[in-house]
Amino acid sequence: MIATDFNLLGRWIAARVRFTLRSPRALGFTFAFPLVLVTLFGSINSGQNVATPSGGDVPFSQYYTPAIGVFAITLACYTSLIIGIATARETGLLKRVRGTPLPLPVYLGAWLTGAALTGIASVLLLFVVAVPALGVDIYVSKLPEAILTLILGAACLGSLGLALGTLAKTAEQAQPLAQLTFLPISFISGVWFPITDAPSWLTHLADFFPLSHLVNAFSACFVPGGNVEAKDLLSLVIWGAVGMFIAVRRLRAATLS
Amino acid sequence: MITTAPQTTTASAIQVSGVRRAYGAVQALDGVDLTVRQGELLALLGPNGAGKTTLVEILEGHRIADAGEVRVLGHDPARRERAFLERIGIVLQETGLDPNITVREAVALYSAAYPRPRDVDEVLELVGLDQRAGARAATLSGGQRRRLDLALGIAGDPELLFLDEPTTGFDPGARRQAWELIGRLREGGTTILLTTHYMEEAQVLADRVVVLGRGRVIADADPDALSAGGAESIVSYRLDGRHVRFATRTPTADLAPILGSAAARGEELEGLTVTRPSLEDVYLELTEEPR
Repeated sequence: MIATDFNLLGRWIAARVRFTLRSPRALGFTFAFPLVLVTLFGSINSGQNVATPSGGDVPFSQYYTPAIGVFAITLACYTSLIIGIATARETGLLKRVRGTPLPLPVYLGAWLTGAALTGIASVLLLFVVAVPALGVDIYVSKLPEAILTLILGAACLGSLGLALGTLAKTAEQAQPLAQLTFLPISFISGVWFPITDAPSWLTHLADFFPLSHLVNAFSACFVPGGNVEAKDLLSLVIWGAVGMFIAVRRLRAATLS
Repeated sequence: MITTAPQTTTASAIQVSGVRRAYGAVQALDGVDLTVRQGELLALLGPNGAGKTTLVEILEGHRIADAGEVRVLGHDPARRERAFLERIGIVLQETGLDPNITVREAVALYSAAYPRPRDVDEVLELVGLDQRAGARAATLSGGQRRRLDLALGIAGDPELLFLDEPTTGFDPGARRQAWELIGRLREGGTTILLTTHYMEEAQVLADRVVVLGRGRVIADADPDALSAGGAESIVSYRLDGRHVRFATRTPTADLAPILGSAAARGEELEGLTVTRPSLEDVYLELTEEPR
């Protein structure tokens, strides 16, 4: 019996998640590192308030936990996919897969979904710890928006990760490529501290990239009276589509010459 | 055990004519014609740089020919149709695998996309990895890894199997086992295109040997005919302490009077041998670079 593509996708997603959970490096990076940041800085800055871009003042961890959640999503989807795809290309794993009837969209979809599930699990873990330990509040009415934002953000960063993974010439280039693209943008996008009084050219620059939109949309779900703006989600969708387009084109070309 | 007979849709599994492929100024394939019949095991030989890998990758759908006709199982491989990929199996050299995957998982996962995959346990037993089913790919030895590659190549029960130097890095025992397996697959009706650097491998396994040299087919024959064809036999023996050695195309006729007179005198021809040049000798002669 021919397994349907949906069935195949399910098997490959489960496999990708298993491979990640078996890798101590991936576990440390995706789950432990963001958790350490949130608990460490949340404890140091407890009792302090920060001004958010959406207006109101909130306790430090109320802003910092979702922002580091975005960092966790970035690690799981963006960084790990750049390295994973570049390595798969270099070692010939991709060529092996392309020699089988497994459709490329199913294979890439499994990488993407597996990474997204890991990233979302990591964010959940952050809140499971931060809510009781750091007194972070969750607004039930905002949860659907928060979940939608997380899924779109994971899909967007994952697609861009796939695309950049295909642009890296070697696996060795992948790590610096991931860091050099993420770090500068993360500083102007409010991942590490809220951007409130930045010069307008810097804000415009940050607005061009999807990261600030993801931080804004996700953080807004944890600020009383905050609203997820459609333009933030639109940016995620557009960047995600661009990334997926590049990834599929580059991978088709890379395995047929 | 192989139970499914190959579906015959064309008389030949591979049909290639006038295939050319260049990389920049280098003409890797310079007009290759090749036919592989259904059920045949063809060994593709040739020195490094002769165009073997390019030719095989064109047949697998990993590369596009600049010119020429390519039909594999009735398909144009460059179109990479799923129906085509479902019918072939590929064992490449040094192909990556997810380091954290286990042997059993790999066979189950990679065969899932085929319409009629073989039973996972059966595949593991065939390649002799049943004892290592739970091991992670990263912990396998070189030879075990190669056997896993072989397992993944046959897991989809292909009609046509591409084997690119399948026993490189094997110890002699493992090589014999792999040969047995390849022989069994062929008996089951699988068409096999084998590239190898081991002449013994070609001699033992192949129905037909094709030698590529500088992008062209320079020999195409069955292995015995290739090593017998044109070349002379060497006769060697000792008589009265004298070492006699000569080359001849007619060893029987030449030896008959010598043996007759020796036997009549009750003498023994010490160390009498008649050797034919091995496939390796012929191959080296064929592929020798002109000086």
